[in-house]
Amino acid sequence: MTEAAPDIPGARSPRRGHRSATAAVLVVGGGALAAATWIGGDHALAIGLVAFYALAAMIAYVWSGRDSDVAAIMRVSGDERQRALDRDATALSGLAMGTAAIIGAIVTSARDHGNIGGYGVICFVGGATYAVALIILRRRR
Amino acid sequence: MSSILVIVKNRVRELRTASGLSQADLGTALGVSRQTINSIETGRYLPSLPLALAIARSFAATVEDIFVDDQEGQP
Repeated sequence: MTEAAPDIPGARSPRRGHRSATAAVLVVGGGALAAATWIGGDHALAIGLVAFYALAAMIAYVWSGRDSDVAAIMRVSGDERQRALDRDATALSGLAMGTAAIIGAIVTSARDHGNIGGYGVICFVGGATYAVALIILRRRR
Repeated sequence: MSSILVIVKNRVRELRTASGLSQADLGTALGVSRQTINSIETGRYLPSLPLALAIARSFAATVEDIFVDDQEGQP
C-alpha cells in the first residue's frame, strides 16, 4: 500500500465540502419565497414558509454531516461517483421538469387559444440551454 | 459487427483485504468515499481511468492486474 494518497485528477476528500451549502440554499430560496408571499399580502403563509424552510435548513445541516452519498452531494462535494450520481439525478430531474413544461404548454395552449404562457418560456429556456450546452461541451470533449 | 461491451471484474476487495485495509482506509488513501470503494468492489461502479490507475498504483500493480475482462478467452 502506498504511503500517501495518490494524485487523482478531480479527486476530493470524501468529507470535504460545505456542510451548510444545502441549508444556505433553503434559507435563501425560502426567504425569497416568504418575502414575496409577505409582499403579496398573505402574512400568515409567509410566516409559515419561514418556519418550514428554517426547519428544512436545520435538517439539511444535520444530514449534511453524515457519512453518506447524499450527504456528500448536499455538501457540494464528493468523489467522481458521487458527482456522477448528482449529475444523473439532475438530468433526470430536468427531463421530468421539461416533460411537465411541454405538457403544461400543450394544455395551456388548448385552453387559452394558442397562448402557451409561462410554460412556453420554460420550454424555450430549457431547449436553448440544451442546445448551447451541447455546442460548448462538445468542444471540451 | 461484434460488440465491444465487456464485463469487467476486479480484484480490489481481494487486494484490499490482503493488505489489511478497510474500505474507509483505502477510500481515504485514494481520495474517494467508502461507498465508492464498496461500489467498485461489488462491480456496480466502474472507476474512471485516473482512479483505476491510482488504485493500481496503490497496490503496486497494473490496471490489467486488477481489472480484468470477465469474458477474456471466451469465443
